[in-house]
Amino acid sequence: FCSSVRQTAAAVPHSYYPRKTMHYQTEQRGHPNSPDYRIYFKTSDGKYISPFHDIPLIAESEQNDDVPAKKPKSENKVLYNMVVEVPRWSNAKMEIATKEPLNPIKQDVKKGKLRYVANIFPHKGYIWNYGALPQTWEDPSHKDKETDCCGDNDPIDVCDIGTQVCSPGQVIQVKVLGILAMIDEGEMDWKVIAINANDEDAEKLNCIEDVRKSRPGHLEATVEWFRKYKVPDGKPENQFGFNGEFKDKDFAVEIIKSTHEHWRALVQKQTNAGGIECKNMSCCNSPFQFSADEARAVVQSVRASKNRLRQQQW
Amino acid sequence: MSFTVEERGNANSLSYRLFFKNAEGKYISPFHDIPIYADESQNIFHMVVEVPRWTNAKMEIATKDILNPIKQDVKKGKLRYVANVFPHKGYIWNYGAIPQTWEDPAHKDGDTDCCGDNDPIDVCEIGSRVCTRGEVIKVKVLGILAMIDEGETDWKVIAINVEDPEAKDFNNISDVQRLKPGYLEATVDWFRRYKVPDGKPENRFAFNEEFKDKDFAIEVIKSTHNFWKALIGQQTKAGELNCKNTCVSSGDSPFCCSADEARAAVGETCPCGEGEPIPSSVDKWFYYERK
Repeated sequence: FCSSVRQTAAAVPHSYYPRKTMHYQTEQRGHPNSPDYRIYFKTSDGKYISPFHDIPLIAESEQNDDVPAKKPKSENKVLYNMVVEVPRWSNAKMEIATKEPLNPIKQDVKKGKLRYVANIFPHKGYIWNYGALPQTWEDPSHKDKETDCCGDNDPIDVCDIGTQVCSPGQVIQVKVLGILAMIDEGEMDWKVIAINANDEDAEKLNCIEDVRKSRPGHLEATVEWFRKYKVPDGKPENQFGFNGEFKDKDFAVEIIKSTHEHWRALVQKQTNAGGIECKNMSCCNSPFQFSADEARAVVQSVRASKNRLRQQQW
Repeated sequence: MSFTVEERGNANSLSYRLFFKNAEGKYISPFHDIPIYADESQNIFHMVVEVPRWTNAKMEIATKDILNPIKQDVKKGKLRYVANVFPHKGYIWNYGAIPQTWEDPAHKDGDTDCCGDNDPIDVCEIGSRVCTRGEVIKVKVLGILAMIDEGETDWKVIAINVEDPEAKDFNNISDVQRLKPGYLEATVDWFRRYKVPDGKPENRFAFNEEFKDKDFAIEVIKSTHNFWKALIGQQTKAGELNCKNTCVSSGDSPFCCSADEARAAVGETCPCGEGEPIPSSVDKWFYYERK
């Protein structure tokens, strides 16, 4: 067990330790809408990190700063960090690059072409801010009991239904409200439904039924969207577990916990990583942990003569 | 026939203006100087695009300003952005006007029993390309919806860009129903609800909310063209409308605008500069079901 806590509290094994909200910066390389585009992540003191492995799954909400350490919070107050990949209403399929060192965000490429998700009438692009929960992993060697499908080898996906349109690489704190069991091309692909904790409705929304009442039509539209979004690319409609019904928050939290455990096994090399790049800055007991200098070297090597350095602070 | 635009002021601010010029670089009015027909024998009309699909800024031909540039509508002193009414994002078609048309407020329409809204006739262009603000395109008319907006007749022509890859398959309103299922229903839904987030009631429609077909639409457009001819020919009172133009009125008409006068009018507006950001409140998605 780690005796010195270096940076983020990801070093602490118990997931429910309350801790201060971290702030992250991003650094862009290359130009948007090009295959070279990358968004790297840094802590507020400038150290490069992986958004997959080094951002804690559980975030702290500021009002709970006075809660003594080691006391588990009520589930209602738990906030999760979400790494935003795709802003609402945009089409570029941005993703955490699980197979590149430091796992920057990049645009997905299929058959040699940059991928843009189709507009499925009446929708324009994505209908929520879309992204991932850090420190989670849907293990492809793990078969889900209900759907009999294996994980899709990615962090667990999240749809943020808040009003604010976020930016790729933005890290926000979200309340989990429910979950949808999507089966995408035969692989288990859970979709967590959550809301930005800063949203003016966040306080009033505590379960999936609250979403149904305050945002009529949005849950139905969510199922429709996931069912059809690959059809224009020649793929079949997607299927769902539980008859396409949304499961509630408690169920969602259990799924998230299990994908968090799969991730922990991954970075501690208890599971076959396959192509996943597990380099990280902060996970104790991880054979993949590397130094700030090594991380900097990774990012420098990406710099090409025409790349512009653009920084953004959240 | 081609047209260009000249930006003045800053986008998303009160100063923004989009002036129009013809192929020879002469300033023109998009209301009065662009011909209604691109090809009269084929019933192909010109359309001035005011609002690109999926955007929110309520841009309009400024009917009361000299040279009628496009500018952003202002309500209660604030720049107007149309709400996003779930599941829609901004406007769901390229939206604009047919030049040389006018819905006369002194004329009570026989079908809607309401007077005209004092503006050129509106068009919703359903093609797949998102046009740019101020673009002048050629469209095939397919049908028309009789909306009653805040008690005034406000026809909505449904049309498609002649350059759309599927344009040849669209010849009447039934083709829209068949080839773009849900689009016409979404159009009625959009117009019904789009002002509710601003505190206005739902809009109403004539003909039981049904779309009338191409022939009916062309008759309505022709009648609004006749109203415009009476306006520009000084047979109808202009009221606050600015009828100055550089190509249509003869030299002895008070509406004839010289090149110098046009240049001076443009010169009085702010020089072109960087746009302002769109307020994040414009991103709000309004959810409610129809009553």
